[in-house]
Amino acid sequence: MLLFAAQLVNGLSLGSLYALFGIGFGLVFATLGVLNAAHGAYASAAALAAYFLIDRFGTPFAVAGLAGVAVGGVLAVVVDQIGFQPLRNRRSGMLAALITSIAFWIILDSLFGVATDQQSLAFPASSYPQAMLALGPLKVPTMQLVNFALLIAVATGVHLLIEATRLGAAMRAVGCNDVAAALGGVNARMIVLVKAFLAGATSGLAGVLAGIATSNVSASLGEGLLLKGFAAVVVGGFDDVRGTALAGLLLGVVEVFVAQYLSTSFRDGFTYLILLVFLVVRPRGLFGRDSVVRA
Amino acid sequence: MAGAVRGGFLLAFAVATGLGAAEAAPAPGEYSVGFITETTGPLAAAGVSFYRGAQLAVEEINQASYVGAGVTLKLAAKESGSDAARAVQALTQLGADRSVLAATCCILSPVAAALKPVTLNAKLPLVIHGATLPGLPNPPYVTSIVGLPGPQEVKMAQALAEAWKPKSVVYFVNADNEGFQNRFKAARKVMEAAGAKTADVISILSSDTDFTAGATQAIAVNPDLVMVWTTQTPAAGIIAALRAREYAGHISASDAISPAPVYKKIGAALAGTPFPILFSPEISKTPEAQAFVAGFAKKFGEAPDTYCAEGYTAIYFIAQGLKALDGAPTREALADALGKATSIEHNVYGGVPMNNGQAEVSNSIIAQWTRDGKVVRWEKP
Repeated sequence: MLLFAAQLVNGLSLGSLYALFGIGFGLVFATLGVLNAAHGAYASAAALAAYFLIDRFGTPFAVAGLAGVAVGGVLAVVVDQIGFQPLRNRRSGMLAALITSIAFWIILDSLFGVATDQQSLAFPASSYPQAMLALGPLKVPTMQLVNFALLIAVATGVHLLIEATRLGAAMRAVGCNDVAAALGGVNARMIVLVKAFLAGATSGLAGVLAGIATSNVSASLGEGLLLKGFAAVVVGGFDDVRGTALAGLLLGVVEVFVAQYLSTSFRDGFTYLILLVFLVVRPRGLFGRDSVVRA
Repeated sequence: MAGAVRGGFLLAFAVATGLGAAEAAPAPGEYSVGFITETTGPLAAAGVSFYRGAQLAVEEINQASYVGAGVTLKLAAKESGSDAARAVQALTQLGADRSVLAATCCILSPVAAALKPVTLNAKLPLVIHGATLPGLPNPPYVTSIVGLPGPQEVKMAQALAEAWKPKSVVYFVNADNEGFQNRFKAARKVMEAAGAKTADVISILSSDTDFTAGATQAIAVNPDLVMVWTTQTPAAGIIAALRAREYAGHISASDAISPAPVYKKIGAALAGTPFPILFSPEISKTPEAQAFVAGFAKKFGEAPDTYCAEGYTAIYFIAQGLKALDGAPTREALADALGKATSIEHNVYGGVPMNNGQAEVSNSIIAQWTRDGKVVRWEKP
């Protein structure tokens, strides 16, 4: 029973990373219509920026982490403006954006590989909280609880931002029809920038936390999150942050339990089986609305 | 009669002093050696090391005229990213370039296996420098300078079984890497023969990065020893996860954790984890090894790791084959020389016999990281 509980916590922590990443991924898809394969690069960039700040300049972890998150956001804005805005202006459609994003993914991964000398790095263990916290008989690493708490905070914040603020209404309006939104007085270009930054920053946060959880900060860090984050968005519903958060947690728990009680060999297969089932049976996901364009 | 006697005497003298071999002289010129690099992709960290070792070897060989007067080598590098399809494409290109006399490649056994028919078809000598699947060599065209898994692992497992007397062992093993599967099997056989029960076998994949669940699974059965038979990134992650979860038992690993960047990454959590290794800049003391360490530090500003040594050895082995040829070297003649080699002359391991195209290395050492980041011999407590 203790093992079950420990693995449940492991699954929720892992799922928190998938969910955080998926929230950013879903934001871009639901509101900008871009299936962004370069999204994993934002997570890698954030983790690498935080790592170099800590390793080279001795920056405290909280500051370095926030700076990394900002780097993820800024990178997303830069990629959006260089890669996607010209396509948006020409109404080029989703396929052109997807191909462009794949190009950015490869270019950014290569650059990060050069920056790290192709090494897998890790945050110094002394730079972040390492204590094991006792929850009854269960001992849980502090960072696992931090992952979960940050997911709750980010998911709640983004959900409220989108559903209960004027900015969120403007974001939804631009997602529906940017021309109509602009005619209604919304600065669509500014909204696009805000969305891109928010998406990159949430993925960046997932990247920094994944770097700690896995002792792996490398050019390929984001790749590991990309497909799982995509699965979380599909299962949760593209246009609802709550669904993405729940789906991410579900995928994390399933992944860990399959590895523990069945076999590691089936782990990823189960994740994508869930994805397939949702695409066939409930394509709008757990919380998705019918009107949203599907992938 | 006197002339015949004198001629016979001179011939005998030449054979006895090895002059017969020394007379072989490849025609002066620059000869290309293909190197299928893996400096991108999942094994890029090791791939960079292999390539740097090869670069140093070429520099030394050319400076010392190791192959012969006026003979220099040039590396023709093609990147594969550890991907079999890209490696085949790279080897095909090298095969089409008639200035390339031989090639060396492959960290992963499936990639090496994919190249085998290509190289046999192109009749291009291929020296494997990293992959360890038994049966890969196919002399004269395919040879391997890497010792097969088994002896090193057996030696370490025997030492650990004797020193720590574990009652239960958990094994982490790469499900997608046959080389590590073989190492794991060799070690488990020794452990079970010594009475250590297999408490669990936890399979992981090379691309895995999260080992929290695996560490929890291992700790749950409270083993006396955890043996980690995986590639570098998972090995580092598994050990870090086990120690972060306050596992206080013994852990052992493979030489995958020996490079300095792994210690920089994981730190003191690696201390006291024994691993078998053939070359270590801190421990290997032969003149060749020390010269290699000094030369590498001068060229790259850091100490070489075990993968650098393998890239270095592969190039010297090819140079050794070339050195034995007379006149304009051909791929066929070079393959013949490499296939017949009974040892690698210039090496950092203190001797490497070759048997039917396969290196046999038995003088491995058991090493460990200290808390302050040095590799030292592991001693029985």
